[in-house]
Amino acid sequence: MPSEVSIPCRNMRSFFRVIRFALQGTFRNFWLSFVTTSVFLLTLLTVNSLIALNVMADGAIASLEDRVRIDVYFTSNTSEDMLKSARGYLLGLTQVKTVDEIPEEEALAAFKQEHQDDPLVLAALDEVGGNPIGNALRISAHNAEDFGFIIEVLNSSPEYSPYIKDSNFSDSTTAIETLSAFTERVRIGGYALAGFFAFISVLIVLNTIRVAIYVHREEIAIMKLVGATDWFVRGPFLIEATLFAFIATVVMAGVTYAALTAAEPHLMTFFTGVDVALVDYFVAHGAVIFGAQFVSLMLLGVLTTWFAMRRYLRV
Amino acid sequence: MITFKNVTKLYKPDTHALSGVSFDIKPGEFVSITGQSGSGKSTIAKLIFAEERPSSGHIHIGDWDISKISMADIPVLRRQIGVVFQDFKLLPKKTAYENVAFALEVAGVPTRRIREVVPQVLKIVGLGEKAHRYPRQLSGGEQQRVSIARALVHRPKIIVADEPTGNLDAINAREIMELLKRINDFGTTVVLVTHDRDIVNALRRRVITIRDGRVAGDAERGKYSLS
Repeated sequence: MPSEVSIPCRNMRSFFRVIRFALQGTFRNFWLSFVTTSVFLLTLLTVNSLIALNVMADGAIASLEDRVRIDVYFTSNTSEDMLKSARGYLLGLTQVKTVDEIPEEEALAAFKQEHQDDPLVLAALDEVGGNPIGNALRISAHNAEDFGFIIEVLNSSPEYSPYIKDSNFSDSTTAIETLSAFTERVRIGGYALAGFFAFISVLIVLNTIRVAIYVHREEIAIMKLVGATDWFVRGPFLIEATLFAFIATVVMAGVTYAALTAAEPHLMTFFTGVDVALVDYFVAHGAVIFGAQFVSLMLLGVLTTWFAMRRYLRV
Repeated sequence: MITFKNVTKLYKPDTHALSGVSFDIKPGEFVSITGQSGSGKSTIAKLIFAEERPSSGHIHIGDWDISKISMADIPVLRRQIGVVFQDFKLLPKKTAYENVAFALEVAGVPTRRIREVVPQVLKIVGLGEKAHRYPRQLSGGEQQRVSIARALVHRPKIIVADEPTGNLDAINAREIMELLKRINDFGTTVVLVTHDRDIVNALRRRVITIRDGRVAGDAERGKYSLS
C-alpha cells in the first residue's frame, strides 16, 4: 500500500470513484434504473396532476365568484356626489374588488328583472309611475362570503343608509352561501385527495427502493468483504437515488409543460371560456414546484436507501 | 502471524461452532484447515477476516488483537488479508479488471498505480487477455482466478482461501492449487480451508484438523485424516 498518499487526496479520489461507480451502476443496471426512475416519475405525475386539478378548481371557483355581483339601489333623490362618495367609501374596503355605477334607467331595468316574480313590487312601481329608482352601484368582492359584511357596513353607515332603497343581497344570500360552502368543500377535498395520493406514492417509492437494494444485497456484502467502508459502498447508491430523482423531475417538468400547453385550449372549452391559466401557473411557480419535488424525492430516495442498506452492510 | 488462543464461537441459542480452539500460524506457512461439513473450519476463516467475531478467546493477526475489532477497523483489516471464496464472490456488473481494481480503489490507491498493477496480476493468474470480460463471460476456473487476482493485488501478507476448489472440476482445481502454492513460494502466508482429501494429501504441508469445533490434529506434513 503506498504510504505517501495523503488523506485529503485519498478522500477526494474516493469521492470521484463513488461518483464513477454511481454512473456505472446506473447504466449497467439499466432496467432497474429505468424502473426506479419510472416509479419516481409516476409519483411526480400523481402529485402534479393533483396540483393541476387544484389550480383548475381554484380557477373555476374564482371565475364563479367573479360572476357574483350585488346591486345596491339608491333613491332617486341621491345626488351624484353622494353616489361617488359611497363608491369611494366602498372601494376603501379591502373586501371590495370593484364598484361600478349603473345609470338609473339601467338600474330600473335591473330592478324589474330582479323582481319579475314579485307582482306586488311590479304593481307598486306602476302605481308610482316614472322611475323611483335612482342610480345603483354594482359591487364585486374578492370572496363571495364577504358580501354580507359589505352590505352591513353600507347599511349601518349614517351617511349613506338613508339613501339606500334596496339591494339584491338577500335574494342572493342562499346562492352565495351555497357557492362558498361548495368552494370550501372542493378545496378541502382537493387537499385530502392530494394527501392520500402523496401517501400512496411515498409507499410505492419506499418499496421500489427497498427492492432495488435487495437485488444488490450480495454485491454490497462482496464490497464489504473486499475492504470497502460503509460510506464507499453506500455512496454510489445514494448518488443513484439522487440522480433518479433529478431525471424524474426534469422529465416531469418537460412532460407537464408539453401536456398542459396541448390541453389548455380544450380545458377552456370544457370550462366554457374560463381561462384556468394552467401553463402560466406552472411557468410562474415552476422553480418552486419542481424544486420542492426534486428535494422531496431526493430526500425520500436517499433516506430510504440509507435505511434499506443498513442490514446488508452488517458483514 | 495468526494466533488463535482458546477461541470459542457460539451461535445462539446453543450451537458451538468452535470450542477452545488454539493454534499458531507462522509467517510464510501454507496451512490447510480440514474437517467435515459443519466441523467449524469455515468459521475459522470467517473469524480471520472478521466476518464473524469470537464469543470468547483471542485472535491475533500480527500484533493486532482482532477479537473485539471495531466496525471502523474491519475494512482496514480486510485490506491486509486476501480472501478467496468458494463461490468466487465477484461483482457481476464489473469486468475482471474492474473486480481486481476494486480492491485497490477501496483503499484509495492512485489510478495510475492501479493501471500498472492490475494488468500484471491478471497476467500472473493467466487472464491477461480476458481482463475486460464480465464474470458471466468467464468459466468457473477463470472466475476463481479473478478472485485470486483480487486477493493478491494489494500484496497481502496473508491469503485465506475458503474452499477455493469447491465449485471447480479436477483440472481447474489443480491449477488453482498450483497458483496458491506459487503465491506461498513468494512468502505469502496461505490458509486453505478445505475438505478435499486429494488436495490436502497432494500438498504435503501443515494440516490442522477440526472435528466438532475442536482441534483434532495438527501435523507439520500432514494428510487428510478424517474418514
